[in-house]
This record gives sequence, C-alpha cells and structure tokens, in this order.
Amino acid sequence: MDSGDLCFNAHINSENENNMSANFISVFVYEWKHFIRTPFKIIALLLFVIAGVYGLHNGAALYNEKVSEIEKLQEKAANEEEEISGYFSKGETGPAGRPWVNVTNPYWAIWYTPVYHFKSPDPSIVYNIGQSEQYGFYKKVTFWSSPFDADLAEEIANPERLQFGRLDFGFVVIYLLPLLLLVLLYNIKGDEEDNGYLPIIEIQSGSINSWLLTRVAFYASVAFISLLLMFLYGGFLTGVFASETSPVFGIVLLLLFYLLFWTVIYFLILKYGGGTAKNTLMMAGVWLLLTFIVPASVYQFVSIKNPASLMTDLIDAKGDNREQLFDQPDDTLRSMLFKRFPEIVDSPLAKDSTRIKRAINRSVSSLANELLKESIVRLENENREKNTMVSLSYWFNPVSFFQDRFNALTATHYQDFLAFRDQLQTLIDKQIGLLVPEIWNDVTVDENRWSGYRSRLQGEM
Amino acid sequence: MWQIIVNEWQYYFRSRLLFSISAGFIIVLVLTVILGQYQSGIQKDKYVNATDHLRGQWEKIEAMNPHSAAHYGTYLFKPGGLLNSLDDGINTVTGNVLRVEGHVQNEIVYSEASQIKSVSRFGRLRSSLLLQYIVPLLLIFLAFASISNEKESGRLRLLLVQGAKLSQIIFGKILSAWLYGLSLLLLVFAAYLLLNIDSLTSATLIRSFFFFVAYALYYFVICGLTVYLSARWQNATLALTSMLAIWILWTIFLPAILISYSEAAYPLPSRDQFKTAMKEDRAKGIDGHNPLDARNKELQEKVLAEYGVDSLSQLPINYDGLRMQADEDYGNIVWDKHFGNIREILTQQKRMIQLAGIFNPFLSLRNASMGFAGSDNLHHHDFLLQAENYRRVFIKTLNDEHAYGGSKTGDWGWKADNAFFKSVPAYQHKPRDIGAIVQSYALDLGLLLLWTVVIFALMLTSTPRMKII
Repeated sequence: MDSGDLCFNAHINSENENNMSANFISVFVYEWKHFIRTPFKIIALLLFVIAGVYGLHNGAALYNEKVSEIEKLQEKAANEEEEISGYFSKGETGPAGRPWVNVTNPYWAIWYTPVYHFKSPDPSIVYNIGQSEQYGFYKKVTFWSSPFDADLAEEIANPERLQFGRLDFGFVVIYLLPLLLLVLLYNIKGDEEDNGYLPIIEIQSGSINSWLLTRVAFYASVAFISLLLMFLYGGFLTGVFASETSPVFGIVLLLLFYLLFWTVIYFLILKYGGGTAKNTLMMAGVWLLLTFIVPASVYQFVSIKNPASLMTDLIDAKGDNREQLFDQPDDTLRSMLFKRFPEIVDSPLAKDSTRIKRAINRSVSSLANELLKESIVRLENENREKNTMVSLSYWFNPVSFFQDRFNALTATHYQDFLAFRDQLQTLIDKQIGLLVPEIWNDVTVDENRWSGYRSRLQGEM
Repeated sequence: MWQIIVNEWQYYFRSRLLFSISAGFIIVLVLTVILGQYQSGIQKDKYVNATDHLRGQWEKIEAMNPHSAAHYGTYLFKPGGLLNSLDDGINTVTGNVLRVEGHVQNEIVYSEASQIKSVSRFGRLRSSLLLQYIVPLLLIFLAFASISNEKESGRLRLLLVQGAKLSQIIFGKILSAWLYGLSLLLLVFAAYLLLNIDSLTSATLIRSFFFFVAYALYYFVICGLTVYLSARWQNATLALTSMLAIWILWTIFLPAILISYSEAAYPLPSRDQFKTAMKEDRAKGIDGHNPLDARNKELQEKVLAEYGVDSLSQLPINYDGLRMQADEDYGNIVWDKHFGNIREILTQQKRMIQLAGIFNPFLSLRNASMGFAGSDNLHHHDFLLQAENYRRVFIKTLNDEHAYGGSKTGDWGWKADNAFFKSVPAYQHKPRDIGAIVQSYALDLGLLLLWTVVIFALMLTSTPRMKII
C-alpha cells in the first residue's frame, strides 16, 4: 500500500465518519419529528412523568411524615426529661399516685430516663421508599426491651395498599420505565418490516443495525432525560443534594444501568424479531417474565424452603424460658449474675443478705436479655438464609437485583433496618450495663448522677 | 355464531405459536396451583405446630397465680385463608403473631415481608398473579387482530356477503377468546378441586364459585374491549397498542394511584398518635395495679356494700380479681373506640377503592379475588376481632378465678392449679360467613357485571356503524 492509497483510505474513512454522524443526526431529527407527531407516545411519556412526579411527592410526603414524627417524639422525650428533672429539683421521688417509684434508686432512675432511638430517613427516600413501610422507625428503649418488641411495629397503614406498594419513584423506574420504553420502541423496525420498507432503509442508511441503534438510542435518551429531570426535581423536595451522605451519583448510575439493561433487551428483540405485533408480544412477554414471573417464583421458592417464621423461638425466650429463669432459686440467679457481671461480686449488696433478693429481682432483666439475644441470633440467621437465597437468584432475576440496589442506595433496605435493630440492642445492653452495677453498688441517684445516666444512655451510637 | 367459534378454535389449534404458548402456559398454571398448594400446606403445618406448641405450654402450667398467668398470656397465630393457595392477598404484609395478655389489646406483628429483603413487588407466584396479569394479556394477544385481520384480508366482506351478520361475527370472536380464558380458569379450578378433594366444604365451593365468576366477568370485559378496538380501528397494531395501554393503565398505573389516594383521602393516625390517644383515654379509667386509684375506692365501696362487710379482709372473695376485671372492662371500651376508629377508616378506604371499580374493573377483580380467597383486609380484621373477643374471655376467666377461685384479697401468693389452666378454652378460629363475604363484595361483582353489560351494549350499538373495509 503506497502513500497515495493511505491518503485515499483516510479520505474515505473521514467521509464515512462524516456520513455516519450526518446519518446519526438525520435519524435523530427524523425520530424527533416522528415522536412529536405520535400522540400515543407523547401521552405515554406524559403519563410516565406524571407518575414519576406523583411518586416523588409520595416519597417526599413519607420523608416529611417521618421527620415530623421524629421531631414530635424528641419533643416528647424532652418533656419527659423535664418531668424527671423536676422530681429531683422538687425533692419528689416519682409521679403522683405511684409511691413505689423512687427515682433516687438507679432502677427507677434508669427506667424513667427517656431513651428513644430513631432510624431517621435519608433524604434520598424521596426516590425510593423500598422496605421502609414494613418496619418501625423509632423505639423507646428500656432495660426490658428487645429489638423485636411489638412497639417497633410499622406505622399503621392499609394492608391492601401495602401489598400493592406505594406509587413511588422507585416503582415508576423499576416497573414503568420498561413499559415506557416498550411503548416508545414497539413499532421500530417492525412497521418497516410489515410494510416491506427494510431493503430501502438499508440502501438509504447503509446499515439496518446502526439505523436501528440510532432510533433506539433516541428513545433511550428521551427516557434518560425525563428520568434525570425528575431526579433533579425530586432532589429539591427533600434537599437530597444538600446532604453530604446522599448517594446522588450512585442513584444516577443505577438509573442509567437499568435503562441500558432494558434498552439492550428491547434492541435485541427488535433486531432479531419480526413485525410489530410479534415484537410487541415479545417485549411485553419479557417484561412480564422479568418483573412478575421470575421475582414471584423466587419468592415462592424461598417461602417453600424457608416458610415465614412464626417466631416461636422468640416467643419462648420471652415467655416460657423467661418464666423458667424467674423460677430459679435466688442462689442460681445470683451466680448467673456474678458470672455475667464479675464487677458486682464484691459490691455492697452482694454482701447484704437482707437486700440481695431485691437486687437480684431488679437485675434479672439482664439475664432475660441474654435469653432473647440468643433467640434473636437464630432468627436473624434464618432471615439471612432467605436473603442469601434471594441474592443467589440475581443472575436470572435482574429486576429484583436492581430493586435491591435501589433500596440499598436509599437506605431503605432490609440491612438498614437490621442495622437499626442492632443499634437498639446495643442501647439495651448499654442500659443493662449501667443498671446492674449501679443497683448492686447501692448508689443513690441525685440530679447530677441522673444527668450522667442521661448523657451516657442517650449518647450517639 | 357457533361456526365462527369453531373456526376460531380451529385457528387457535393450528397456530403453532399459539399452541406452544398455550401448552407452556397451561403447564405453568397447573404447576403454580400445585406449588401454591404445597407452600400453603407448609405454612399451615407451621401454624398448627406453633399453635400446639403454645397451647402445650399453657396446659403445662402446674400452678400459677391467675393474674400472673394473665401477664404470662399466650400467642395466637393468624390462620391462612380458605383459598390462600390461589390468592395470597395481603398475607405477606400483615403480621402473623398476636400476643394475648391482660391489660392491653396488642397489635399483630412480625409480617413475612419484614423477614426478608425485597424480592417481589407482586407477592409470591400464585394463580391469582397469572390470572390477573398474564391471562388478560394473553387474551389481548389472542383477540387484537380478530376483526382487523378479517378486514385487511377482505374476508369480513366475504363473510357478510355469505349471510353472516356483523354482530354475530363480532360476538363469535369475543366468545372464542373468552372461552379460551374460561378454559384456563376451569383448569385452575379443576386442579384446585383435585388437590383439595379431601377438605372441600360448601363454603370453599361457594367461595371458589364467586372467585371464578369474578375472573370470568373480567375476562369478558377484556375480550370484548379488545375485539371492539380490533373492529373499531383499521389497523391491528393500533388495536393491540391501544389495548396494551388500557391494560397498563388498569393493572399497573391506576391501582397504585387510586389505592394511594384512598389513604390520603381517609388518613390513618400515626402509631404514636394512636398510642398516645389510647393511653390518655386509658388513664381516665381504673388502674388495676394501683390500689390507691380514686376509681378503685368507688368500686371497693360498691363491692363491700354488696357483700355487706366493712373491709376487704372480710370479703369471702378476692377483691383484687374484681379490680383487675374492672380495669379490663374499662380498657375494652377504650380499645373498642380506638381500634374501632382504625377499622372505620380502613372501611372507608376500602369502599373508596371498591367504588374506583367504576373506572377500573381490575380493582373490582382484585378486591373480589382477595375477598373470596379469604386473604383480604376484611378477613384480616375478622381474625383480629375474633382474637380480641377471645382475649376478653380468656382474661375474664383468669380474673374470675382470681376473684372467686378460693383466695382472699391481697393473697398474691395463691395459685390456681393445672386443671384450671387446662380448662381455659383454646382459641378456635371461625371462617367468615360466606353470606357476609358475598355482601361485602357484591359491589365489586356488580361493577364487573356492569362493565360486562356496558361492553355488550357498546358492541350492540356500535356494530351497525362499523366500517367493514
């Protein structure tokens, strides 16, 4: 090949490139004209955007509800604190009509210390509610609490609505975005094939593939721009962009990957499919398979392998096992307590035969807590097994995978609530760790000491 | 018309694609019924074991103070609905475990959905999922070209020239597709009956009947509308895409919006508001654990006067048991008020969703399907009510034993024996009366019927004006 050939080839290549970009632009322009003249597609896009905006407002409403509920509870906790503080300053021992309460005793002082723990919503919940409606997000912690107490139940909601799920932006993305793409793409190439125009198009554009890719890319771009605009709008509803921890880029990437995932699937169907009706049928079929059938089958399989727990283990730990524990002779309970808290072996009450029984009774919650913790470990392990099975399905269950990642990014994942339960357990342990030595050391609580309790128990996790 | 139906079915059988899809789908459908049944069976075993376990614990109590036993309490588990294996309804999102104890009406907790990370927005693979979402799509694909293809090929004109009436052709096409849907329904029905042949009751049969009637009506609406659009539009693709748009609107878009809207229209209190309001009301009544309570004094004087004695120690009974029951009686009024309020709001929401069936027959189908399967909110609340009634009897039995079992006031060390604890009746769940179910879902069935009539009327009125070319 001489230098003349090289020059000629370079000229041809550059001309081809110019032609290609000109083709690309002309197909985009043609597609834009086609799009704005197709009311059906415009309406579909509008509906999609309306649903998205509605979903964002639903997410923002949930965020605001949670934030306002947390503020109310914080206020309530502050009032409770003021009340207890008042007992000390007024020289009272507790609430009127409850003479058995004595806040100068560590048992009652700690019992009455308001310790609330919250799972504050991340502002990114505006994009995806995830599993947040299935769990409680606040709890008052005492030394008799457990992370599986009934007061940690989810907010009161209509179960029929819960079953269908709230229409949030996540739903719009995961379920409606593929449908929007279907509506935008269903007749691409199929119409031309039905009418016998494909050979002409091949001559005009040079390549059916690049012509198809450009047209598909146009609609994918329309969908992505719509998503981005909605994403930006949602960000302003809860101040996502102002929050340092919000995974803005992660969410945008996820949206992009999810869009690409469906675009590739539909592109392949259009490329290898036939007429419009056949393509539409195949696209709808794949959508149904990936969004309904496969996730539902995985759920069915997991339910068969590991049916829903009726919590009998936990119930036993709270009921029968606890009763058996309480029925133990004092000597046994004392030995158990000494083993658990070696620092109280030489405490004043350990040597006081007249008051030791009461000290044991008031410390027994620590032993009950250990029983509960053992059953909770088993319970969480059972749940972990189920979750592992779900994770193993992701290679053929991509929609659940994307939903899972969306939940993780917006802090509405199972793991986030598991972490919340772990934090609650830490707080319970903290209370017990403070309570038992204080009781056995026969401490008298004054306002200062109580303030110390408060800051120790309510301290940051 | 019969000939048209026969011809259509011959076409269904001749089309290799349709035949393969149908065969595959039938296998999936039957497999889903079997797996649904199997999964429900496993869950039922778990329910029976857990119930027996808890009852066993209760019956093993050797000796315990009745009020301590009221605090010890027991647990009830939510039983599965009668047709649970066909439609799971709300079962995965509601709690399954209810604590029964003195002084408080607890809420049901530990839902299945909270025990697993998010996997399927539309629940487990149940027949209802296929019957509600997939079969209608199949019917749309079956019927979208039924008239437009005849128009495009010129066969429609030929048929008319040969003496067939347009209305006969149109209804023939509708019935052909509808019968296809109906045969899938019958297959599910037959598989379900076969798997449950040993446990069938009249209640199950009646429920199954209405369950399938609802689906049959919905399928008629889908087939009718698809054939109508096929006849209305000149182009089969346009008919298909219009019908797909309607399907998307009905099954995905509108339910999510309308159900969410019902919650906004009739807002429920937050958990804290609910608890605080109950606590405030509860504080106005007698406190069973506080002998210094002013209202306790009143009751005490009344009881002393009734027995004609001057002090509690002279009473032949244990006054503590009476005080505890007075506490319960007052609590019950408070629970009825607040839990009743929640039920009332949920009923309003439900009614709104049912009325939304005017715009969206899919909602009527979904309601009726869950309702007749026994996995809806009404059945859920029926269980909660039965459980609460049981709790009241359970606690009253314990308080009566405390009061009249032979102990004296203040004798907290007194214990009832094992025979007494065994005599406390176990919870027996009674399935909701079928008459009440039919009444609750008559609106949904009525609306589905109305949609059927509207589609029928639409066909009759528009057929004469339809273009045949």
